[in-house]
Amino acid sequence: MIALRRLIAVAVGLTLAVLAGAAGAGPLDSPGFAKSLTCAACHGAAGNSRSDSMPILAGMSPAYFQKQIEAYASAKRPSPEMEPYAKMVLQLGAADIARYFSEQKMLPTPVPASAAAVERGRAAAAECVICHGPDGKGDPAKLIPSLAGQPPGYLKDQMLLFKQDKRNPGDVPLKAMKTLMRSISDETYGDLAAYYSTLR
Amino acid sequence: MNRFTRREFLKSSGAGVGLGLLGAASVAGLGGCATSMKGDFMPKSARRVVVIGGGWGGATAAKYVRMEDPSIEVVLLEPNKEFISCPFSNLVLSGVRTMDSITFSYDGLRKHGVKIINEMAAAIESDRKRVRVGEGYLEYDRLVVSPGVEFQWEQVEGLAQNQDKVLHAWKAGPQTVELARQIQSMADGGVFVLTVPPVAYRCPPGPYERICQVAWYLKNNKPRSKVIVLDANQNIVSKTGLFREAWKAYPNIDYRASSKVVGVDPSTREVRTEFDKVKYDVINLIPPQRAGTIAVQADLVGADKRWCEVNHVTYESVKQKGIHVIGDSTIGLPVPKSGNVANAMGKISATAVVSLLNGKPAPALPPGNTCYSWVSDREAIAVVNSYKIENGKVVQIEQKLTPAQSVSVAQRALGWAESIWSDVLA
Repeated sequence: MIALRRLIAVAVGLTLAVLAGAAGAGPLDSPGFAKSLTCAACHGAAGNSRSDSMPILAGMSPAYFQKQIEAYASAKRPSPEMEPYAKMVLQLGAADIARYFSEQKMLPTPVPASAAAVERGRAAAAECVICHGPDGKGDPAKLIPSLAGQPPGYLKDQMLLFKQDKRNPGDVPLKAMKTLMRSISDETYGDLAAYYSTLR
Repeated sequence: MNRFTRREFLKSSGAGVGLGLLGAASVAGLGGCATSMKGDFMPKSARRVVVIGGGWGGATAAKYVRMEDPSIEVVLLEPNKEFISCPFSNLVLSGVRTMDSITFSYDGLRKHGVKIINEMAAAIESDRKRVRVGEGYLEYDRLVVSPGVEFQWEQVEGLAQNQDKVLHAWKAGPQTVELARQIQSMADGGVFVLTVPPVAYRCPPGPYERICQVAWYLKNNKPRSKVIVLDANQNIVSKTGLFREAWKAYPNIDYRASSKVVGVDPSTREVRTEFDKVKYDVINLIPPQRAGTIAVQADLVGADKRWCEVNHVTYESVKQKGIHVIGDSTIGLPVPKSGNVANAMGKISATAVVSLLNGKPAPALPPGNTCYSWVSDREAIAVVNSYKIENGKVVQIEQKLTPAQSVSVAQRALGWAESIWSDVLA
């Protein structure tokens, strides 16, 4: 009950924000709203996942969203959950759904991070900054994703997948990223994840 | 382990009819004015959608109609005061989760402006577009029926008269608590028998996840006990290979396929299949199922008298105009009877209802299915199905299974549950 109360407060706030944002029009006027209804089951209202394991899609760069959907659908980014859904997104129109999520205000993850881990993560992030920027927001023009405010569990999972070459296996542009991940200890992944989850 | 005891359950649900009446009066804006549910006890103030059943499908539909068009009044009829999640309830049987952790308030729906009446819908009068409740009725412009499943007690001899002793625990609630208690009280060396009904039934992998959970609990707490599974089907119905693999960790499971239960006798603690008799210490008999009673009474079921056929885009009944049926009661779509599918149908039917009430065509939106099963206290497996609409029909695009059980899948299962509970209720 406790966790849900927090979720209710956030979700109702989000809903009101969505409705207010539409300025009198209903949410159905945005073509991406109806097409993204399925996504909400895991990724939350308006793409603002509140759990530790599911990434937040709200505010995501549309080009990056579409690139990932294509990677999931072609199994370049292997995921038993996302491969079928990515194919569904392509059927429904990935551009509409990408635009819808990019237009939603991103609410950073509510999953707490320990202050000590955040500090250790900040100290360990020197090399991450080179691509993801000092604020962790990435570079949409280069399809480098924002890490800021994403759930720490999700971030840590992705670092492990990079290390094991299970995310986009064999992908040439990601080679440097994977080499970097192999030079970092698993404990530091937790620290980096904590740090980036707290960036705004 | 169970913080929510059976006594507390009975206490919280026992207020029943009296509170239901109060609830109806206050939501109708008649608070303080003595009233009862007679005649048109809650006159329509705007275009109105009535939703029958506040489970995964109905609660979602009620919320999304309000979200998509707040000018539409939504009245939800649901006798239970709290929502108890069937997904994850098998973990209560093994003591891994508490009832409290799968029990949620309906307050989130109220914040969306859904008017909740804690009553059963007594009948549907489709010719007059109204639902009978108590001695009165509610008018509707469109009706969403999400009554879940009802058990076919008569299919198993001795079951109807022993419903209090032979538990199904297939609707999470007091029976979940009681079955957990029976399993915990069973002596080491005792035999737990679980029976799987013939397809179609609610939650295809559910019985097999339950077998994992009980076997895990017994292995760790009553190592001399065993689990006998009497499956009416020829093989494990869902995630077959993954469950077979998981069961290798549980030598205490004795699985018997093609063993349809035809009778049960609590006085001798014996369950009968077509060919055999099996003694039990604790029985969990999951009966054969059909659509919820109101769907049968309202003539929404097809020739099989069990399930409801619907339009694959709007979820409008093929038999009754203006009535949409969603969730486990439906048939004819290539989708499992799962909470995730019911949630998807809730959103799609809400979108169809809102579109149609505003004179627009309903968009063609397919459902999706994400289904996790816990094979121990920390590992899970999953199956995902995605769909498209082709020539007005739901067609599967793809089904994918996780390659193996893992802790990482279990973490995503937790994330899924947290998200979807909120999608249904918050």
